This record gives sequence, structure tokens and C-alpha cells, in this order.
Amino acid sequence: MPGHAFRFLIAIVAFAVLARLPVGLDAAFQFDAALALIWGFGILSLVLLTGYAGQVSLCQATFAGVGAYGAGMVVASLHGGYLLGIVVGVLFATVLGVLVGLPALRLHGITLAIVTLGIALVFDKYVFQDHLFDWFTGGTGGWQVTTASILGIPVDSSKHLLAAYDVLLALFCACAVLMVNLHQSGAGRRLRAIRDSEVAASTMGVNLTRYKLLAFALSAGMAGLGGSFYPLVTGSVSPQPFWVFTSLQLAAIGVLMGIRYVPAAALGGLFMAVVPDVLTRYGHGTFMGRAYDISYDWFQLGVGVLLVLQLILLPDGVWGDLRARTAPLSALFRARRLKEVKPA
Amino acid sequence: MTEFAAYTIIGLSVGAVFALAALGIVLIYRVTGVLNFAHGAMGMFSTFVAWQVFYGYPHPGMPSWAVTAEAILAGLGFALVLGLVLELLVFRWVRSRPQIVKAVITIGVLLALQSAASLIWKNNQYHLPIYLAPQDLTRTIAGVPIGANSVIIFVIALGLAFGLAAFLRWTAFGRSMRAVSDNPTTAQLWGVRVDMVGAVSWMLGSLIAAVAGILITPFINFDTTSLTLLIVDSLAAALIGGLVSLPLTVLGGFILGLLETYPTIWIQSLGFPRLIALVVILAVLIVRSPRGLPGTAK
Amino acid sequence: MTMLRVRDVGVKFGGLTALHSVSLDLNRGEILGLIGPNGAGKTTLFNCISGLVQPTSGSIFFEGRSLRFVPPHERARRGIARTFQNLQLWESMTVLENLELPMDAVGKRNTFSDALGLPMSHYAERSARERARAILHVLDLDGFGSRLAGDLPAGIQRRVELGRALAMRPKLVLLDEPAAGLDASETEKLAGLLRKVRDRFHVSMLLVDHDMSLVMKVCDYIYVLDFGQVLARGRAAEVRADRKVIAAYLGEATPELAESTEEEPSVTNSSPESLPAPRTEPGEVLLEVTGLAAGYGHLEVIRDVNLTVRAGEVVACIGANGAGKTTTLRAISGVIHARSGRVTFGGRNITGASPERIARVGLAHIPEGRGLFPNMSVEDTLRLASDTTGHRVPLTAAYDTFPRLRQRRHQAVGTLSGGEQQMVAMARAVLAKPRLLMIDEMSQGLAPTIVRQLFRMIDVFRGQGIAVLLVEQFVESALQVADRAYIFEHGTIAHEAPAEELRRDRAVISGAYLGTAAPVESTAIEVAANGSGNGHKKHPELMEILSMRVPPEVKRALEERAEKEGRPVGALALELLEEVKR
Repeated sequence: MPGHAFRFLIAIVAFAVLARLPVGLDAAFQFDAALALIWGFGILSLVLLTGYAGQVSLCQATFAGVGAYGAGMVVASLHGGYLLGIVVGVLFATVLGVLVGLPALRLHGITLAIVTLGIALVFDKYVFQDHLFDWFTGGTGGWQVTTASILGIPVDSSKHLLAAYDVLLALFCACAVLMVNLHQSGAGRRLRAIRDSEVAASTMGVNLTRYKLLAFALSAGMAGLGGSFYPLVTGSVSPQPFWVFTSLQLAAIGVLMGIRYVPAAALGGLFMAVVPDVLTRYGHGTFMGRAYDISYDWFQLGVGVLLVLQLILLPDGVWGDLRARTAPLSALFRARRLKEVKPA
Repeated sequence: MTEFAAYTIIGLSVGAVFALAALGIVLIYRVTGVLNFAHGAMGMFSTFVAWQVFYGYPHPGMPSWAVTAEAILAGLGFALVLGLVLELLVFRWVRSRPQIVKAVITIGVLLALQSAASLIWKNNQYHLPIYLAPQDLTRTIAGVPIGANSVIIFVIALGLAFGLAAFLRWTAFGRSMRAVSDNPTTAQLWGVRVDMVGAVSWMLGSLIAAVAGILITPFINFDTTSLTLLIVDSLAAALIGGLVSLPLTVLGGFILGLLETYPTIWIQSLGFPRLIALVVILAVLIVRSPRGLPGTAK
Repeated sequence: MTMLRVRDVGVKFGGLTALHSVSLDLNRGEILGLIGPNGAGKTTLFNCISGLVQPTSGSIFFEGRSLRFVPPHERARRGIARTFQNLQLWESMTVLENLELPMDAVGKRNTFSDALGLPMSHYAERSARERARAILHVLDLDGFGSRLAGDLPAGIQRRVELGRALAMRPKLVLLDEPAAGLDASETEKLAGLLRKVRDRFHVSMLLVDHDMSLVMKVCDYIYVLDFGQVLARGRAAEVRADRKVIAAYLGEATPELAESTEEEPSVTNSSPESLPAPRTEPGEVLLEVTGLAAGYGHLEVIRDVNLTVRAGEVVACIGANGAGKTTTLRAISGVIHARSGRVTFGGRNITGASPERIARVGLAHIPEGRGLFPNMSVEDTLRLASDTTGHRVPLTAAYDTFPRLRQRRHQAVGTLSGGEQQMVAMARAVLAKPRLLMIDEMSQGLAPTIVRQLFRMIDVFRGQGIAVLLVEQFVESALQVADRAYIFEHGTIAHEAPAEELRRDRAVISGAYLGTAAPVESTAIEVAANGSGNGHKKHPELMEILSMRVPPEVKRALEERAEKEGRPVGALALELLEEVKR
């Protein structure tokens, strides 16, 4: 009990603090903050699927895209409320997750990575771009979302960005708490057992099919949840943000920050939304007489190089390494929180 | 009928390039245990280097064939250096890590290479591929117009595939490579310098990727991302060969090339061929061993 | 009653038959042992029972119900648990978590309740934790609860695996080599632990291990497997004295069961007389190993190994499976890292050097399994051998010594027979002429005639100035050609003696293989060591009955009843004994 209450408390405090954070900043940073959460959901979904359950996936942005297009379709084409749009987006993403999970039951490691890469590519170049799917994608221009409200609260991007951000933040904190609870729970243990040794897991009673599909479904749903807010925050949906390279970047940044840790998702999301924006907006001028201009490509180049370096040097990721270094500190923390019953 | 034949030739030419690229992937995988997701990106970068030499600089007084040759040599030379650098700086240090970790490292390399190329050459679409034969040279055989370029590409790709097979079969170094790919530990016990074999494999693989990249430019959008993403099609061809058999890999390349070309007779869609590649991947993986790639220890 | 019934189970992997018509009965409350040389099929049988491998023929019944089409997790729910030969703990989880998981896998837990942290989940968590601690207490693992499973020493990890198997309240536990890597005293403790566990937790066990002292001490009944078939079965003492078993472990494989190869009258051109070449005085020390310790992962397999080989010597390493002979060779040739100790070769310190460097300074290692490349042709393999010497050595030398290979030069090595493969491996020595040749289990799976000829090759090598370090199961032949022998036991060298001495005193050797508790008739070893004696021709059932020492009328009645019920006599007799006891 104490453990759960503590986590809940932290989540509430975090929400309270972070909700006020972007208030004074300009619209661009507020936009970044919201985007950080959307991608944070993407990385969080990877933490669940790859970090906890050990299933490698290179198509998380695809799930997010399906959520985005689903929501956009409901709102712009079917004229439903945004809440319905979110539900539909998540549903579509979850269904796709289960479908992707089915072949995953028989594949491991690299082969699974190859298949998910193929899926990301197919959705990117075909489903999200081909006119066959215009009913889903809204054609070449994609869906435009101008006004939207959730449960009466106006949340559309043009004037009410902060409201959208707050809703996103609340959901993210909730999901983060649920993830950590899951990690410590029996179901979480079973996912981790599948990751550490599938053979032992199945012979010790873990139903591999059920849990792998569960992991895929929850993961895709989470990515889809983040994605379904995309039209809200940006005002439109297009294939570009959900293309193959985004999936690869989500995986790369997730691993960079520490694919097994929930806080890594938050860090990663922030990294992914804020850093390129800051670089491109402020990264130009002159240095020692030479003009320079930092573009998005520099960001991706940095990610690639950092990933390679990290895997060679710091296999557990930034957060993992941090955790290891501060272990003595957090041990104090933990002993006080959980009441241990000493054996007689 | 003639249309079908024409498409067949195109399909075979594209297929030959897929086969070549797939051979490079299989080579690196068998000898070093790394499934190189960055294979396409490496080929892309070397191709752009060749392109840069070809179109980027003036060549006063040189006949066109010499310019082409110079460009290609530049690209290939760069490819060798790239392969060596990657082996020395990156893959030498992670030899004992699990396969999936090494594969994720190649994803990092992919991202780095693609963005570096984009920084240098921007993300424009170039419509100036490197032609190995004059564009308008066509012959009509049995009423079917056949572009010389396609034929040359087919011949070169197939020739290189056979050359690689001959190298592996007949030379001492090829023997060492086969030994390492059969069993690296045993090869060590026989005194084979595994480090050096690994380095050469990377260089050779990179070279093959560069050739494939240069050859395929007439057939696809020539920009940094499209070439990089050819990895998926190459992987599909490699998987048909089970990542083991070189002849089957070549066959797989041809099959994939044809499968991706024929539907374009009826369906005008840029993305549809990708779907075919994915279906092939899924079919092969699921029908085959449920345990995954050969050599995946568990 | 019969809890586990394995009937005529066969497993084929492609063309390879791993198990051939294996039948086995395990009764409630029994600890059943399953022993046999490497590759006999024991782990495959375990995999069939736990559901990881589907038998291609035959059936398995657990508590009367068929296990066909039942997935592994369902078998766990029905009460079958197992441990793994190579330790499959969940390393990123704590010890307690490792134990709690099977518990709630058997019970039913609700994912959403867990995620939300509802009281129902809390209660289930707490009771699971209490039970896990109780199990740790029985296993003497208090205090390890919150440690990460991956950080523990191997001995502790083995006990944790056992605890994990027990955590799901199983009826049957399959133990796959629980004593691997343990030394003599740890094995002793394990034996006591297993009996304690059987009594406290009321579980039946099926135990696979190479450590005879453990198996003999702990098991009520033993099955012996070889080449995928049941070779013998009975109580500990009977099995230990069974000539077939002794033969399988100590010496030549029985003709019926050995790999069938055509008679090859002269596979080598070495001197056809059986006289060994005259032994020259051994020269200076070529290989010196001091205090070597090594292992795999957390497992420390060998400790404090000291041995020397002089130029011109042939030295044998003998001892039971799992005693550390192969690990020692691998640590010397650099395939695995030495944890401590020193290896010098020709005066040079080669500890920690890479295998290819060591091979190039003249220390060649032919590993277990022959160390060949299955997809390369014979000719290519031989060329590779000459490549690595740095200069072109003509292949004629190899073909002259092994004319058979000339016929097969373009064939892929993987398609050759065992004997031919071993010739290819030895041909490498002919071409590369190392200063010291280490050979691991040269005679594994080969017919006696070929083995004899291969041993003659060793003599030829000695004559050419190549020293040989030999790891062998075929004790008799090894002792014929060796000058000295080291006897390995429990990961270290227990005894060293000149070959002459060991040929005379067999007891030392059989003790190392089959456990020293009961005295073994030396005649049995003579019979086994000298090749096919009449013992093999006897009916297996008869041997079993004879060893049981009951009156003949009773024996006859038992036989008849056994035939009627279609069950092995041994199990039937045991059952009756149990009834009589009560």
C-alpha cells in the first residue's frame, strides 16, 4: 500500500508543478511542451513493449499515426466530438497492435524488428499516402481540426493550447503511474519474465500468447492515445510526423534514455520535442566569423551518434546509468517506503 | 505480351540489384553476426559521393566515360573507407554483445548517415542518376524494346554476385571468411585472424552496397531517404535465402524484383511495392523456422 | 501410483534421431534418476515432458491425462516444474520476484486490478511474498530475497532455481543437472537438500546429472540413456554394476548401439602392427598450467588445475563428464577466459591470449565435436589448415596418411561419417605440425576399430615430435598410448600417475567415473574394457531380474505379471515392495 500511495502522490505533485510550467512561456514553447507529451507517450509505449516485455518494435510512430488519423477522421469527416475521436483513435491503434502482435508470437529479436520496420514503411508510404485510404487519411491535405472541446473544455490548438497540454499531462501522469504499478505487479513480473527468459516463463506457467498480445495491445493503445491528440495540438494531420524515421528515432531516443524506465519516456519526449526546436530557432548566427545554421538534420545526426556511443559505453541508457550512480541514495528512500516483514 | 516482357526485364534488373544488396547483407551477417540495418544508408552515402564527383565538379576535356569511371571509383573508394571506419570505431568493440544490440547500433548508424547526407546534399529529389550507358540506346529484340542500361545493370549485378561467389570459393581469404561464417570460435582455433576477416567483410559489404546504390539510381527516386529505405526490400530478398544460402539470396532478389514490378502494370502507386516486400518478409519468416534467424542463440 | 508415464517417445530433428522409443515410469514420491553420456537425449526428454519439444512419436501421460497438445504453461498448472541445465533465472528480477511469479501464474491474477493497485492485488502480493520467504528459508537462502538474481554466485543461483520450481506447488520437478559446477562438498549438501525437499514439499523428482555420487545417493530408481535409448534401469547398486552401463561410460560403445560404420580395413597408412612406437625420453616442459580456474558466466567449473606436458609426451586426461576436462582445454587454448592461474607454452606466457595467436604459436586444439566447418569441403578445409601455417604445404601428406580422404576430397565435411571427420581433424595436425596437439574426445561416437587406428595416429604424431594432450572417455585405449594421465574429479585434478600404474589399479579409475561408495568387481571392467564381452548379448530384462536377488519363483511370477500389464519388471517389484512395507 505505501508504495502505491507514494507513486500516486508523486504523480499528483508532478502534475501540479508541470502544469504551471509553460504558463509564462511563448506559444512556441507551449507547443513544444504538448508535443513532448505526445512523443512521450510514444516512448512510454516502447518502455512497455520493449523495456518490460522484451519485444523489439520499430513501428511505434505508426501506432501513433493511426491514432492521429483516427481522431482526425472522426472529428473532421464524421463530425464527432473530440472525445469520441480519441476513443476511436486508441481503438484503431490497439487493434493494429494486436494484429502486429500475432506474427510476433513466433518471432524474436531481430526478425521482429525487421517485420515492424516493414510495417512502419508500408504504413508510411502506402496506407498514409495512397489515395486508396483517403477515407482514413483525408487525402493529400490530411484532416484539419480547428475547434475542438473535450467534455465542454475547449482544447483546440489555436487559442487553448494550455488546456490541451493540461489534459495531455494529466493523462501522461496517470499512464506513468499505471506503468510503474504494472511493473511491480504480477502481470508486470510476467512481462519481465518473458523478456529475461521466455523458455523459463512458459514452463513456469506464463501464457506467452496472452501476455505478448497484451503487451502489444497496451503499447499500441498508448502510442495511439498520444497520437490522437496530435490533430488537436497542431491543427492538422499529415504523414510526415509519423513516417519511418520517427519510429526509428523513438526507438533510438528510448534506448538512449533507458528503455526500461518510465522517467526515461518523459525525458525522451522532452528531448524529442524541445531540442530540435531550440536548435533550429536559436541555432544560427556567426561563430568565429563563419555563419552556421543548425537544422533538424543535425538533431538526427546527434541522435544517431549518441545512440551508437551509448550502446557501446552505457548500455543501460542515461536514466539507467543515473539510477545506478544514485543507487545508495534511493536505497534509503526505498527502505523507508516499503514495510518489510522480517522472517521469524 | 511485349509490355509484359518489358516489365520482366525491368523486374529482373531491379531484382539483380536487390540480389546484390542482399548478398552484402548476408555476407556481413554471416561473418560478423551483425544484421546491418544501415546497409542501404551506407550504399546511399557512397552513391551520393559518386554523384557528387559526377555532377558536382566540372571535368574539362574528359570524355564522358572517363567521368563516369572516376565518379564510380570515388564512390567505391569511399565505401571501402566507410566500411573500415565502422568496423574499427564501432563494431570491433561490441563483438560479444547480443545480436539485437548490434542491430540497434546499426539503426543509430542509419540515422547518423541519413542525416549527414541530408545535411550535405539536402533532401531534394535528384533526377540525375548515373547512367552506365547512353540513355537512348535501345535494341529491339523480338519486337521488344530493351534499354541498354537495364541490361548492363543486370549483367553487372549478376557478374558481381558470381565474382563474390568465386572469391569465397577459390581464394585463401575467401576460405577464411567461410570458416568464420561457419563457426567463428572454431576458426579462431584454426588460427584464422577473425578481426581482420571481420574488417574486410565490412569493407566488402560496404562496397557491394555502394555498387547496388549506384546501379539502382535510374529506377527509383534518388534522394537520401529512398535509398536508405531500400534496406527493407534487401532484407526481404536476404530472408528468402534464409540469411545463409547465397544462391537462394540471389534468387530471392530476382523474385522480389519481379513481384514488385509486375503490379505496376495495373496499380500506379508508389507505396504498393513496399507492401509486397512486407508480405514476402512475413510469409518467409512465418513459414520458415519459428525460431528466427539462423545463429540466433537462445 | 504412476504419476508420469512416458511411452515409446521418439524425437527426430530433421534426419537426426534424438530419442528412440523411450519409455519411463515415475511413481509418486519417487526421486528418479536419468543418467547417460553426453548427447544421450536426456535434455530432449525433459523438453518433451515440459512441453518445449513435441515428440514425433509416442505419448506422455501425467496423472493419467495425456499431455499431447498441452502447452508448457498449462503443464505448469497441472503440476510439472523444471530447472534448467544452463540456469534460466530471470536475472533482472530479485530472488523473491523469481519465486513469486510461478505462484501467481498458477493462481489467477487480474491485470487491471494489478495496474490500479487495488486491495485484492495487495492481499495476493503479500501472501505470495510470505510463501516465497518460507521456501527460501527451507533452502537456506534467507537474506538473499531482495538480491537481484543475476548478481548471485552460481551455487546460490541453482538453489534459487530449485526454489522457483517449488514455488508453484508442483507435483513433479524435473531437475536438469542441478550439480553442474558444484564441488564435492556442495554436491553433498545438494543431495541432502533434495531429500529434504522431497519430504517437506511432497514432490516427486526426475533428476538428470553426470555426478554419480549425487545420483546414486539420492535416487530411488535410475534409468540409463545412451544414443537416445534406454540402456538399463534399476536401483542404484544394480546400475552401477551393470556391465552395459560401465561400458557406455568407461569404454567402447556396445556394438548394437554404436553408430554403424562400414568396416574400414585400413583408414590410415600408419604402421599396421599394434605395437606402439618406442618411447623416447620426454624433453623439456612444453606446456605448464598452474592454478588455473575458469568457468562460464557465474559458474566456476574448474579450480586450481595444475598440469604439465613435456615435448614428445602423450598425456591423457580422464574423468567423468562434468569433471572439467573440456573446460581445462578451452581455458588453455583461449576459447574461454581463465579467471586465475597461468598458462605458459614453450616458455611464453599465453594466459589470456586470443585463440588465433595461441594456434599460431604451435598449440593446436581439436575441440569436442571435432572443430570442423560443416559446409566446407574436405579439400578446402585442408587448404585452410595449410593457409594458416603461413606457407603453402602440399596436401599430399594428408592424403597419403588418410587415403580415404582423397576419395572424399570434394565432399562437404558435414556429410562425412564420424570417423572420416575425425580424420580431417587429425589431418590438420599432419599439415600444420603443431608442437602440442590437444584433442578432446577423439573417439566419441566411433566404432572400436576406427578408434584403435586413430590411437595409432597419436603414436605416429609422437614419433614426429608432436606432443599430445588427450581428453578421453575410452580409458583403456588412452592408457595404452599415453605416458601419463591426470584424473579429473569435481573440477580439479584428483590424481596423477604414470599410465603403467593406472593400468594396474583400475579401482581408482572406476571410482572417478561411477562413484566410490560401492566396490566394483574388477572383472566387470576387464570385460567392458576389452570390447564386446558376452555380457552384452544377454537379455536386458534378465540382467535386471538377476540383479534383484529374489527367489526364482517370485521372479517368474513378477515377469508374468509384468508382461500382462505391459510394464517394466523393476517398477512393478518396487510397487509391491512398497505395499509390503506398509
